Amino acid sequence: MKSVEVKNLFFSYNGNDMTVSDVSFSVEKGSYTTIIGHNGSGKSTVAKLLAGLLEKRSGTINICGYELNNENLTEIRRRIGIVFQNPDNQFIGSTVRDDIAFGLENHCVEREKMDEIIETYARKVGMSRYLDKEPGNLSGGQKQRVAIAGVLAMAPEVLIFDEATSMLDPQRKDEIKKVIRSLHDESGLTILSITHDIDEVAGSDNVLVMDHGKLVLTGTPAEIFSDQDRLNRMRLDIPFSAQLIRSLNKKGVRLRPFMGMEELAEELCRLRSQK
Amino acid sequence: MGNLTLGRYIPMDSPIHKMDPRAKILAMLMMLIAIFIPSGWIGYGILFVIVSMVIILAKLSFSFIFKAMKPMLFMLVFLLIINILVVKTGYVLLQMGSIVIWSDAVFNTLYIAVRLLLMIMITTCLTATTKPLDMTMGIEDLLKPFQKIHVPAHEIAMLISIALRFIPDLIDETMRIMKAQESRGVDLKEGKMMERITAILSLIVPLFVSAFQRAEDLANAMEARGYAPGQPRTRYKQLKMESRDYVLLICAGLILAGMIGMAVL
Amino acid sequence: MSITFSKVSYVYSPGTPYEYRALDGVDLTLEEGKITAIIGRTGSGKSTLIQHLNALLLPNEGEIQILGRTIKAGEKPKNLKPLRKDVGLVFQFPEYQLFEETVIKDVIFGPKNFGVSEEDAKKKAKEALALVGLSEDIYEKSPLELSGGQKRRVAIADILAMDPKILVLDEPTAGLDPMGTKEMMSLFYRLNRQFGKTILIVTHDMEQVYQYCDDVVVLEDGKVRIHQDKDTFFRDAKECESMGILPPALIRMKEILKAKGFTLSENIHSVDALAEALREEVRNG
Repeated sequence: MKSVEVKNLFFSYNGNDMTVSDVSFSVEKGSYTTIIGHNGSGKSTVAKLLAGLLEKRSGTINICGYELNNENLTEIRRRIGIVFQNPDNQFIGSTVRDDIAFGLENHCVEREKMDEIIETYARKVGMSRYLDKEPGNLSGGQKQRVAIAGVLAMAPEVLIFDEATSMLDPQRKDEIKKVIRSLHDESGLTILSITHDIDEVAGSDNVLVMDHGKLVLTGTPAEIFSDQDRLNRMRLDIPFSAQLIRSLNKKGVRLRPFMGMEELAEELCRLRSQK
Repeated sequence: MGNLTLGRYIPMDSPIHKMDPRAKILAMLMMLIAIFIPSGWIGYGILFVIVSMVIILAKLSFSFIFKAMKPMLFMLVFLLIINILVVKTGYVLLQMGSIVIWSDAVFNTLYIAVRLLLMIMITTCLTATTKPLDMTMGIEDLLKPFQKIHVPAHEIAMLISIALRFIPDLIDETMRIMKAQESRGVDLKEGKMMERITAILSLIVPLFVSAFQRAEDLANAMEARGYAPGQPRTRYKQLKMESRDYVLLICAGLILAGMIGMAVL
Repeated sequence: MSITFSKVSYVYSPGTPYEYRALDGVDLTLEEGKITAIIGRTGSGKSTLIQHLNALLLPNEGEIQILGRTIKAGEKPKNLKPLRKDVGLVFQFPEYQLFEETVIKDVIFGPKNFGVSEEDAKKKAKEALALVGLSEDIYEKSPLELSGGQKRRVAIADILAMDPKILVLDEPTAGLDPMGTKEMMSLFYRLNRQFGKTILIVTHDMEQVYQYCDDVVVLEDGKVRIHQDKDTFFRDAKECESMGILPPALIRMKEILKAKGFTLSENIHSVDALAEALREEVRNG
């Protein structure tokens, strides 16, 4: 089953330069997909197109079996949730509780059901104790948790994270990444994450690489990281373990093209004991 | 880290904080009208005592009120000077060479100062004890009867609530930009006319750019979560008038009536 | 010469319900001519600390000595312009400070405020723009129509054109892509090594600290917890982790390998050096 199917997508802000040019891809239901690319490569624009926040030039977008168009927009917005980069600019309510309720109000959920839904999702992101706090008293990481809860409360099937951790400090970043992970592993949500975080990319099922508005590379992390020169040319980062493997390969120590640090260390141990 | 106190919500656990925003807004309006009734010094004295009691009940500190008053001081001094120059009635209080200060000039200014102080005290009683969202819900409900004549009550309320939500952020942003420009040698306090205009531009242009960015982000976030203006939606927060709210309204009504009575007699 | 903080404390909104002690008795001596990283959790006082360097914030307690000047608590310093010129402060997301009609005008703005003539200011501006890697064809463009990365460069050129002796940067690479980050950090490295600028960088990125900085200052709850050279600092990965700091990947990899019985020298600081050492061990057992 495909959760997202995009075919021949084109988009332009000014009518001339194509910000998104002939992009086609699909996302398997329940998978964790990352989109990488340098700033200005068009990856955030793709996210906004999927959520129906921008109008495509041409091409088709299919979300959970619904084609994205004006008639289906409400149905699609129930199925796709998006968490943005800036924690301050997506907090709409005056307290955590009100902010999670915002989406429910828009979808005309009955008042009687709201409290339970709010509490359930606040617990899921670890914000139960902060329900009556205001945004000014929350850290960036906590605001992002609230944003996630607000989106989850609408029970979407697909969650998009548009550089949702890029403005957080390392500890908060890790915490939010764990929350996203658990949504995928435990709740079975389809995750589409736009990120510069190379560790997050390494842990995902599939990677889409964008460059100058085009989708230039797709594959598993191992496949993507095996072509380091190409990634470098596209101004992208490579995980440390992949850099080390490459350097070792050049020095005549033959290894698989991609492993995590732990795995690589074990592999080296094995090689050492063979001699 | 804005130091602005006027209009800021102060979270406290007090009976005033718990009251229905609609009752508080209506009571405030009645009290404001009461201020503008010329009920004389005794009337103002009574109002002052009553409002002070409300402030104590709301667990607000008086220093907070005076801080809110501070920005008005400049205006009052200006007013005093104008009054001294213009008003030539009452009796002569002081004569220094060609400058004559008449009693009415001073009393007029004092009168305005007292009204201003009362106004700030009363509005602070509302804004400091009412969460911005409650306030907008109150306004929305109070405007509902006017929907029949096509007043977009809900949109107005949403507009106000978003404005209130972002005021602290914009103040922080202003401080930040000010500091950034000061680091580039901008002197916001001194300098020639042209330099001051540039200094102000260096503040306003970035502020607009960032406000538009915010607005765009916010619109995206709202739309993505299913918001569309004019479309029906349910409401999470419900307002309920309780007996204490009716008591508040009756009290405010009585005070207003009393002030009118004093003015007439 | 050095920059000295003696028992410096700073309190936001004193006497209000929002009172907050951001710096609490900071004692710190920073040597000029180095690249020093200032790290610590959000709210540890990093941004407050750096705003004392050009007297945007004045200490509530204690005193600061910088470039031959003393800023004391309770004393209003006179004529701050020379200090503001010599200590260039680049805020987080500095692209928000751009406001002029053209890029070149925006960069000239700073030096002109400090009394440099139009002609000299233009010369300085061009040098600064060249340093940050922007070419002449954007001089007459509006700064608002540039890409995010270009805006950041212009904002940094704004400060460089003032020709500061000390350059202070608050998370200068936040929001940049990996390559943009690398280019930016190399620029600061060059400004230090080639032009002798003292550089202070507030950052969360340990890879940057490891690759480009000389010293590390760790702030915790408004106090200086650690001030060391970076090699000493990263030697103890456990200690780093106890402070919530994730050591650089190279250090983490070495730790994992050491735990598995590999013997690796302290002097391995690059991927290739590590690969070489590993090859030796794997070959010779």
